[in-house]
Amino acid sequence: MVRRLEPKRFAEVVAARTEGDGDPVHALCLACTDVLGLTGAGLMLMSAERSLACVGVSDHVTEMVEQVEYTVGEGPCVAAFRIAAPVLDADLADDGIVEWPEFRRGALAAGVCAAFGFPLVVGRLCIGALNLYHDRSGALTDDQFADALVVAQSVSRTLLAWQADAPQGTVAWQLERAPNHRVEVHQATGRISVQAGIALADALVLLRAYAFSHDLPIGEAAADVAAGRLRFD
Amino acid sequence: MPRQEDLLAAFIEFADTFVDDYDVVEFLHRLAARCVELVDASEAGIMLADVDGRLRYVASSSERMRLIELYELQHDEGPCLDAYHGGASVHCGLTDDADTRWPRFAPHARDVGFASVSAVPLRLRTEIIGALNLFSPTPGPLNSEDQMVAQALADVATIGILQERALRDSHIVTSQLEGALESRIVIEQAKGIVAERAHVSIDAAFTLLRGFARSHNRLLSQTAHDVIDGTLTTETLSQPARSRPT
Repeated sequence: MVRRLEPKRFAEVVAARTEGDGDPVHALCLACTDVLGLTGAGLMLMSAERSLACVGVSDHVTEMVEQVEYTVGEGPCVAAFRIAAPVLDADLADDGIVEWPEFRRGALAAGVCAAFGFPLVVGRLCIGALNLYHDRSGALTDDQFADALVVAQSVSRTLLAWQADAPQGTVAWQLERAPNHRVEVHQATGRISVQAGIALADALVLLRAYAFSHDLPIGEAAADVAAGRLRFD
Repeated sequence: MPRQEDLLAAFIEFADTFVDDYDVVEFLHRLAARCVELVDASEAGIMLADVDGRLRYVASSSERMRLIELYELQHDEGPCLDAYHGGASVHCGLTDDADTRWPRFAPHARDVGFASVSAVPLRLRTEIIGALNLFSPTPGPLNSEDQMVAQALADVATIGILQERALRDSHIVTSQLEGALESRIVIEQAKGIVAERAHVSIDAAFTLLRGFARSHNRLLSQTAHDVIDGTLTTETLSQPARSRPT
């Protein structure tokens, strides 16, 4: 008999985590790590048009890894969103795998050894990804994998329920709580597009490439652009 | 009474439909076609209530059935309407009693070749959202097994309709969320562009954008879009703000 996580049980864990913490997305991420027995969880919302927004993380290490994935624009979670199916990288140090090398390097440096992306799917649409991390390498067990699917489904529903209550044209307040370094990135993208006379999409690529080649989180590179220390004329 | 395997196959087919997006009208047409195979009836049709609670034709197993359902609606009488308004199933032969009950519908249905009619409300708890019609050239009401099958198929139709509505609602919320996230990105990018072009701070750039949007009665996100695609120049953007008293 296969043990199966009940969405109701997950909701109870979320509620328990919410009591001691005012941030609902943080509580949601912590609940994911609780029920799945992993060390980190992060939530990314994405759209096909324009990149991604990290809306919450369970802990500091996850925050760093999410920054890496955002900076390099690749990794199992971005891939999970693109193909709308789970993408599992059970051993980031395994040299046999050639995908997302920059992500792997950054994630390992932050102390993460395995990364698993689960798409947040609503009907036919994919709205983002649930990013799961572990500080030891190794594949998810069958139970963990099955539970992660249930968790991703519950998380999708929760995000939608929050957004359903938000006034038209705004983002649900629960999704606005996470510290948002992306604001600076978008502003810097606008500046670079003027400085270099290029399209916004290309400006973001330029900023990413700069951050990556200088081993900077993209938020710091963006801050340099904002302060005028870094220009792309 | 259909063979159990046929019933099972039909229910599995419909359960499969509900896991992803689907066209509810196509689903109901398919369901109507299955009804005819599974129940001793020659035609099946489905009517749904609109937002005002008025029944509308949605799907049927044939053109003949569609026409007679429309006849019911036009003359505001018939088994489907009774099942919908009364909330109880109707199973009866088109006898003299039926003529008394539906003076226009019953003779018309006989004229086009039917001898008995059934109608089952589509019900979820207390809400009735429509009705399933089953017409047959065989005299006398459906037997009790077929009545049970008809009820089960009506329940499948109800689940299918409600599931599609829930899915559609969540798609609306999803696209609203996406739109809100996108417009925020666009606004930040426009701030960067304006700050760089006009050699002002990010805050001053935002004041310019907001001032222009307000004085021209436009959305901030639309103003940001116009800056990005170049239709709104920095000079134009700065004018109303300059002319306004501080």
